[in-house]
Amino acid sequence: MVRAVTGSWKLAAGLITILVLVLVALLSPLIVGLIGKGDDPIAIAAYERWLVPSPAHWLGTDQYGRDVFAMVIGALSTSLQIGAIAGIISTVVGVIVAFIAGYKGGPVDGVLSTFTDMVLVIPSFPLLIALSAYAKNIGIVEVGLILAIFSWPFAARTIRAQVLSLRSRPYVELARVTKARDLEIIVYELLPNMLPYIGVGFASSALGAIFALVGLEVIGLGPGETIDLGKIIFTAIGTGAMTLGAWPLFVAPIFLLTLLFAALNLINIGLEEVYNPRLRGVAGA
Amino acid sequence: MTAVADKQQEPAARVGGVRVWLGRHPLAGYALRRFGLYLVELWGALTVAFFFFRLIPGDPIQTLIQTLAQNYVYNAAASAEVIAHYKKEFGLDGNIFHQYLVYLQKVVIEQDFGPSLVNYPTPAQEVIFRALPWTIGLLGLSAILAWVFGLLAGALAGWRRGRPGADLMTNLSIALSHVPFYFLALILTFVFAYQLGWLPARGAYDARMDPSWNLEFVGSVLKFGLLPAVSIVVIGIFGWLLSTRMLMVPVLGEDYLTYAQAKGLRPRKVLTKYALRNCYLPQVTAFGISLGFIFNGNVLVEQLFNYPGIGQTLVLAIRILDFNTVMGVTALAIFGVLTANLILDLVLPSLDPRVKYWR
Repeated sequence: MVRAVTGSWKLAAGLITILVLVLVALLSPLIVGLIGKGDDPIAIAAYERWLVPSPAHWLGTDQYGRDVFAMVIGALSTSLQIGAIAGIISTVVGVIVAFIAGYKGGPVDGVLSTFTDMVLVIPSFPLLIALSAYAKNIGIVEVGLILAIFSWPFAARTIRAQVLSLRSRPYVELARVTKARDLEIIVYELLPNMLPYIGVGFASSALGAIFALVGLEVIGLGPGETIDLGKIIFTAIGTGAMTLGAWPLFVAPIFLLTLLFAALNLINIGLEEVYNPRLRGVAGA
Repeated sequence: MTAVADKQQEPAARVGGVRVWLGRHPLAGYALRRFGLYLVELWGALTVAFFFFRLIPGDPIQTLIQTLAQNYVYNAAASAEVIAHYKKEFGLDGNIFHQYLVYLQKVVIEQDFGPSLVNYPTPAQEVIFRALPWTIGLLGLSAILAWVFGLLAGALAGWRRGRPGADLMTNLSIALSHVPFYFLALILTFVFAYQLGWLPARGAYDARMDPSWNLEFVGSVLKFGLLPAVSIVVIGIFGWLLSTRMLMVPVLGEDYLTYAQAKGLRPRKVLTKYALRNCYLPQVTAFGISLGFIFNGNVLVEQLFNYPGIGQTLVLAIRILDFNTVMGVTALAIFGVLTANLILDLVLPSLDPRVKYWR
């Protein structure tokens, strides 16, 4: 694993970026406290309204006089938490469905795959709009749960493809000949080899959930209580930050979200290169 | 589809005869099975969507009566009779399974989505078809442009791999291909509409004009569509570039390309006629599926630019629980994606001899 990371700059760069972002999110209470110098920089009217970026306020302030930099750091933490909750749920569901479908094969696979495809085909965004319109004041966990309903099929599909290719490998056949039970084969033989892909599946459904929430908030239907990156973009549009030239209010969250997307993509392509050496020099530069 | 027609031409279509005939015509058997699966998927997805939307709490009839009262059309407090009338009108009477059966019957047999709540008594179809041209025009055109440019750029990036320019484009694509184009749209709007004031920020055409087919109006539509289209096309190009390059580079090492080069063919001909030709089919498939998704509309882009497309209609309809319109848009989206998939699965084996689905 260590050699894999040092061998591919893409994998390394992606992992480091994600680690840094997670670290910032974990330390966010501390960072926000430092910015406030003892006071709460996200409190309403903490500072003057619509300040331009300056050494005192790196990204200026918003319409309520809140420090934008502190807000963005806090929102990053919230976004990542929601993504983690949705990601864990959908990965667990996806892994279970994928292993049952891919390992059992036959009619079980047919039914499960068709059902997965059906959920994939239904445009999830209208359903999300509908759900959220009636779930206004809910917490982070509930938001994650709702988002997970729509992100497990992606995980299930990609993992199933991997299970299918692994199932017929010689060492699995060998395990089967030695009369290992199905569950043993899955846990001891298949799962360890799948971990990188499960990791990528987790990260992409987490990101998918984060982005779905951003989308909801941008059209003004996000949950009321939480301030995540999407909520900041929404306030930027809603309060006329565009016309006032207060660019950090929407550029900062967009930058962070883009960084997350880019990091995941790098990891994805890096992993492909490491595990499929023939692709080296193909996927990227 | 043709398989069904062929089957009817067979005069002695006993059960055994059909089986024997299908055994002799594997493609027809495959097409028939594929079409059956399509129908099942269509029904399943519609059913899931139907029950999901109906389970949302809220009373659309009460909303309608409130709206009517606000517009002074309807003055008295709603009587039970009026409510019952509207419930029947919108297919909301009886329990949910009764509603489901009524809905299925109406949609499948009468091809009627029912009246729209937002623009009662206009049928939901009409509301949807009014919005459809805007969405198809914007998204369809952008999708085609993104695909064409992305394919060419990807082929070039693969061909010239190792050179700084090509590698820069590739790495840029890795970073940006999955970024929602909504982000780019926001930044472009900020720069070109609000800071520079060159282009309009919202709407689909100049509100002082009436929609008609003259040069002035079409020009206005193009001008208003430029910002949303550019953001979709640019992000789209990054995505197609990356996937085309991934298909392209392994092909470049093949013997027949070395041979083509050794024959002294011009590089451009080798690239387009030999290399690109052998890797564009998967991209045709992907493009077909992405076209199917157009019927989803793009809620975010349409919302940001206040564009009168399907996405806008959907958001408005969901807000006031206009079930008929919501289901209409959803059905169209499901239909689009599944049909694109079906057509591709049926057409691909005849386009590419290497693709074989039947045994």
